[in-house]
Amino acid sequence: MVEARGVSRTVPGPDGPLMLLHAIDLTVARGETVAVGGPSGSGKSTLLGLLAGLDVPSAGDIRLAGEAFSDLDEDARAARRGALCGFVFQSFHLVSDLTARENVMLPLELAGADRPGEAADRWLERVGLTHRRQHFPPTLSGGEQQRVGLARAFATRPQLLFADEPTGSLDHANRERVAELLFDLNREAGTALLLVTHDDDLAHRCQRVLRLEAGRLQHG
Amino acid sequence: MGSLRRCWRDGAFRILALSVGLAALALASVILLRAELDQRVDQRTAASLGGALVLEGSRAPDDRQRPVDNELSSSLVLEFPTVVVAGDDTLLVSAKAVDADYPLRGELQVAPDRFGDAGPRDHGPRPGHAWVADGVIDRLGKAVGDTLTLGETDLTITGVIRSEPDQGTAFYSVNPRVLMHADDVAASGVIGPGSRLDYRLLVDGPATAVAAHRRQLESAGLRPDQSLEGVDDARVRSFGPLQQLTLYVSVGVLLVVVLCAAALTMASAQRATRQARLAALLRTFGAPRRRVLRRLLTGEAIALLPAAAAGLLLGSLVVLVARQALGWQGPLAAGPADWLLIAALPPGLWLVFGVTQGLALARAPITRLLQRSGGVQPVGAGGLIAAVALLALAAAWLSGSARELAWLIGLLLVLAIGLPAALWPLFKGLDWLSPRLPLASRLALRRLTRRPTLALPLLAALMAAMAVLALSGHVGTRLLADWRASLPERAPNYFLLNVFDADLPALDAWLADHNAIAKPRYPVTRARLTEINDQPVRQAVTKESRQAGNALNRDLVLTETDRLPPSNQVSVGRWHGEDDTTGVSVETELARGLGIALGDNVTFVGPSGELTATVTSLREVNWESFEPNFYFIFTPGTLAAADLSWLTSFWLPPGDGGRLAELLRQMPQATLLDVNTLLDRAQAIIDQASRASALLAALLMAAALLVLAAALMSLRTVRDRDNAMLRVLGADAALLRRIAWREALAWGGLAAIGASLLVTAALWPLGQLLFDGRLPWSAWQLLPAAAALGIALGGLRLGRGGDDGPMRLLAS
Repeated sequence: MVEARGVSRTVPGPDGPLMLLHAIDLTVARGETVAVGGPSGSGKSTLLGLLAGLDVPSAGDIRLAGEAFSDLDEDARAARRGALCGFVFQSFHLVSDLTARENVMLPLELAGADRPGEAADRWLERVGLTHRRQHFPPTLSGGEQQRVGLARAFATRPQLLFADEPTGSLDHANRERVAELLFDLNREAGTALLLVTHDDDLAHRCQRVLRLEAGRLQHG
Repeated sequence: MGSLRRCWRDGAFRILALSVGLAALALASVILLRAELDQRVDQRTAASLGGALVLEGSRAPDDRQRPVDNELSSSLVLEFPTVVVAGDDTLLVSAKAVDADYPLRGELQVAPDRFGDAGPRDHGPRPGHAWVADGVIDRLGKAVGDTLTLGETDLTITGVIRSEPDQGTAFYSVNPRVLMHADDVAASGVIGPGSRLDYRLLVDGPATAVAAHRRQLESAGLRPDQSLEGVDDARVRSFGPLQQLTLYVSVGVLLVVVLCAAALTMASAQRATRQARLAALLRTFGAPRRRVLRRLLTGEAIALLPAAAAGLLLGSLVVLVARQALGWQGPLAAGPADWLLIAALPPGLWLVFGVTQGLALARAPITRLLQRSGGVQPVGAGGLIAAVALLALAAAWLSGSARELAWLIGLLLVLAIGLPAALWPLFKGLDWLSPRLPLASRLALRRLTRRPTLALPLLAALMAAMAVLALSGHVGTRLLADWRASLPERAPNYFLLNVFDADLPALDAWLADHNAIAKPRYPVTRARLTEINDQPVRQAVTKESRQAGNALNRDLVLTETDRLPPSNQVSVGRWHGEDDTTGVSVETELARGLGIALGDNVTFVGPSGELTATVTSLREVNWESFEPNFYFIFTPGTLAAADLSWLTSFWLPPGDGGRLAELLRQMPQATLLDVNTLLDRAQAIIDQASRASALLAALLMAAALLVLAAALMSLRTVRDRDNAMLRVLGADAALLRRIAWREALAWGGLAAIGASLLVTAALWPLGQLLFDGRLPWSAWQLLPAAAALGIALGGLRLGRGGDDGPMRLLAS
């Protein structure tokens, strides 16, 4: 689904260039679930950002659904990302001026889908938030916001889901509920999943667990 | 210099500095201009009173009431109606006897003969001499050097009065003036028991000494026949266009200050958000609060000083330019208190609205500071009291009196609360509409409607600024010209007054020779309304209307005719015919103001004494007809023939105005009113006022844009995050630009629509009054739309922030 070959990322530092990622080779197959763990600062989020086309590698090549991805310009990457990928973030990142329903509609509208409202209503029902659909994000609890985030992530039926510490900002009860929902929805949709997390329990729900140490990928 | 550069790099500080500078500019220019204006109004008022303080009574003031302070000067004036005799002719005149100290204030202009050039005099006539008005010479057929007899005294005419001060309180001015020396009064023997006398003790000097004398007079008590009037009383009484203009300017400046305060609060909150972690660390490491405050605020205070100084200098420059344009001479009128306020208020604004945020950093629990994520911190009770006190001080200073202060606060509340409240239903409507709109428009509108407490006052401010700017340009450049163009073709452009019977053949011949179109002529005289149904008019009138007040405070021009003027229409009663005797037709509005009804008797005092007539009809008058119109029209033969002169109007082809000199040489007593010149002069005054108004509107607009910038900056974190999220979900850069553009267009467009409605509401009465119901139009009305477009284009900048944002979402 997504393939990285010899991907490196270097940023300028006070003592010269600083290499965040070293020649990463990684493939996530269609429908496969992969977790990437590792200590803080090991480059997990940087890797996820590069694979999702949120940033471009300093060296190497990334392909998405079999086509060149990292060579595209920002708008073209955004269009492919919108068509193929979904996202779940640690801090939820719902658009603050849109209701829960409109947040779920958002990727559908960007993709030009028909009847985005009806699809959003179905997804909100699936995550148990029909009664909160007209609420704005600040009036929802953390758990509710992340469930809206999940509905938004799956609404376009993406082929690949990127999840960055999806339970990192939640209490224990909500962590469990959101994790269940994430993997249930993923299973139902047959979506490939790349999960970045510190949480070993969560990581081990994935088919494959990788570890990133100082910018180098260690296959576990 | 280093701290200035470091501070200036921060956008929030730039808004802070611009707010302080703008407030300083607005306050300096208006307080200094206000001082200039007040000084000139006071001078003119004092001239019309004859002094800074006038003690009036029907008997001479007591000796104890005369000023003893060496700083004060005084003069006693006695005015009384009397008859002068010249040969076989007699004439009722208003005599004014003055002492050697007259005049104290204002200019006495006296000409050496009837048509000579007048020059200023710093004294009254010597004993045995009299200076007289034109009317005395014309009616008695006398000249300078001839003798008048007043009672048992002969007075030689040695000058002709062109203008005199202290006419403001004169009651007998309906009769022509004879100015004489006080020493001649006793010898004339005309003063006796029952004489109607008006004594005025004029007092002048430094304001503090005058005020002290006033206090002394009031604490000792005045006699029942006495009254006291000072410059302040006269200023309060004449709540006319000038006061309305200064009130309007004061409201505008207060709005500018309020907006600057809002921008300061938001920008300070932004800075405080950025400094929260530093403050928390300093306090964690044991720094006392004072040191934290010093660290946070000292650099800021030093860096803000140049902004305040620049604003003050620019404001002073505006006033200097205005003085030069208006030809005002002399030193600046502002006193030390004015300068102190100008210098203290802008830093005061920062102290109250800006430092509050710093204080919050020094007081708030450290854990809360470490978690602080942004947004405006609420101002505490102390800060709120200080803010209200500061604004109240500015309001009190800008208003000249309690009445004006009440108006000022009332108007400010209407604008600051009423206008945003009126916009509330619009926001609710947009909220209802937004889910039905495409994504870009929905997000753009939501960014407004989701923050009503911020957006409503801000929109109201933008609206008010655009409306004032459009109105000042519109009124200044086009309105009067449009109105002139809308007048009927060949409407009279000259009015001729004081035409005698003997002049009529020559006048008719001249008008015929010059292709002039003459309008009907009217016999007129001047008289003052004294009684309604045998009751003194001031007691009879219970309902004080402005028009009624105007009619009571001056001589009215009366006419008699049996032909109803074409621009008049009888609304009540019947138009008097030739058979009626002593009937009078009254203008409807004035009749309403004075409570006059059909069948009432009205009494006037004119040159030939009293005149009473019964009201037989009420008339609607079209005052914009540009033809002579009258409040009172009597049946022919009611007015004393000896008092009458003619008033006429005519249209003269353009370019022939210069030949009027030959007509005036034939009838030197006549007074010519050139309508074109009057309108040109009015246009010049309106231009000056509109320039002041435009400057104010520009300040208002700048302040509103500052608040808009501060508001957008305070929302930037949220906006950038949302833009980044849109980017992550597949939005292209064009969509972000579209949202930003539409958001700015919504701000500008809503403000422009509101401003256009305000402009229409302001112009509608003018359209009804002057343009037959049509709204006057000018390109200035497009200004709100142009401003909206400008704001929308500026809004494109808001679309940035999405490109490098997505990775930050992962980092947060």
